[in-house]
Amino acid sequence: MVVRSVVFGALASALIGIATALAQDSRNLLESKESLYNNIYVYEQSPYVSMTFGHNRRIYTESVYNTRDERDLPVEYTRFMTAGLMYAKDVRSILEIGFGGGRTSWYLHRYLPNVQLTSVELDPTVVELAKKYFGIKQEPNFQIVNRDGRLFLSESKDRYDIILIDAYRGPFVPFHLLTREFFQIVKDHLAAGGVVAQNVEPSTMLFDSAVKTINAVFPQLDFYRADGNIVTVAYDGAERKIEDLAGLARERDKAFGFRYSLMEMLSQRRRIEIAGGGVIDPNAKILTDDFAPVETLKNIERHNRKLP
Amino acid sequence: MTTPSRALLFAIYASAVLVGGVLMGFEMLGSRYLFPYFGGGIGTWASLISTVLCALAIGYFAGSAIVAQNPSQKTIGLFILIAAIYLACVPASADGVMEKILDRLGDGPSATLTASTALLLVPLSLLGTFSPIAVSILTRSAEDAGRVAGLVYGVSTLGNVVGTLFTTFTLIPTVGSRAITYIFAVLLAGCAGVLFLPFGRRTC
Repeated sequence: MVVRSVVFGALASALIGIATALAQDSRNLLESKESLYNNIYVYEQSPYVSMTFGHNRRIYTESVYNTRDERDLPVEYTRFMTAGLMYAKDVRSILEIGFGGGRTSWYLHRYLPNVQLTSVELDPTVVELAKKYFGIKQEPNFQIVNRDGRLFLSESKDRYDIILIDAYRGPFVPFHLLTREFFQIVKDHLAAGGVVAQNVEPSTMLFDSAVKTINAVFPQLDFYRADGNIVTVAYDGAERKIEDLAGLARERDKAFGFRYSLMEMLSQRRRIEIAGGGVIDPNAKILTDDFAPVETLKNIERHNRKLP
Repeated sequence: MTTPSRALLFAIYASAVLVGGVLMGFEMLGSRYLFPYFGGGIGTWASLISTVLCALAIGYFAGSAIVAQNPSQKTIGLFILIAAIYLACVPASADGVMEKILDRLGDGPSATLTASTALLLVPLSLLGTFSPIAVSILTRSAEDAGRVAGLVYGVSTLGNVVGTLFTTFTLIPTVGSRAITYIFAVLLAGCAGVLFLPFGRRTC
């Protein structure tokens, strides 16, 4: 999981509620490890432990864990990653692509112990450190697969009620996880009435292309704005009525007692006029396996078109 | 004793840059073909890079074997043309081939190596024959060999550098991977066409 804004150490700390600009210095480095894909640093700032990927002397926070409270989701957008729960027709199986410190998936697993939860993570060292420092344990119905997310889906015959996509590598977006072909594969693995929740960072032109790309496969996109990130819930069919969502949210809040109430999330729901060109750049291109200049788009700041 | 005409010299060195550029450019492009099927891991890169180096080794050995038959620039042109035709077939067939490999072999090293072999080995081996043959055409005497070899490899390596950077930072962000492949095919075909021209040889 990644807080997509370029979070220097200080900003990452602000995220978890500590406002000192020099907070980075007060953090205690528990372990640093060079994996196949990342330089991973695990910091402790009691009661929080954070997993960060170092790149270019900047620190990209991937995950924050409250060691005193395993059901706490200190990073705001990760709460919204659970919004799919009020859309899905059934909740029997959930797939996450991009495990990171595993906070979102562990939160879901704690509240939904009977739901089959599968999380796919490319970097084995990330999984290893999550088990060591982030309270991730081997439990029934909770499975971590060490694989490339797209590869896993291409080869899987299973269908899921909710698919969460949050695969970033520090500042990098793997292009093959952001193309029309990829989202088509995702769609093919949704159960009837299933939904996708995707974390998108909205400050660069990549946002516009990502939104158009998801929209090319899923006709409906609902947006939830969190601190620095936007979570998109994508689904097939007609736009869901707010009353229906409220009904499911209320029912599931009550049944499972989620700490981050779906009803409250629903009040943050936004729709964006995607085709109109007012919010999403009309020239933004749909990304395909053939053409997906993700690095270039990431380097272009978004113009001043307002997001709701 | 004959020596290559200025026009032939220019054609061969220009081809060295272009062939070198396409060679590395196509390696970078290989990642765009493979990642959607085999993931963006370090294993995929290792397969691509080792396949390219294998292709170069094959090309160099083949080239050194052919040199005994007194090849001309037309021989190089022919190899480049076959490589161009191969590249031109890639965009339409790549997805089907990648899917088959994924189905049959999964995603391990054998699959990524097979996929990069299918994509890169034939055209890059053909392009790899360029340098040894070019050296043999341009070399007039034994003392000359080192000078010519250094020049040919230096020039073609500069082409490699340009191909890598230009493909990565300009072509991939502006044109699609399939279109870039066609562009490479056309460039190679053009280069082959030039090498088929009748070049005179000066006597000295």
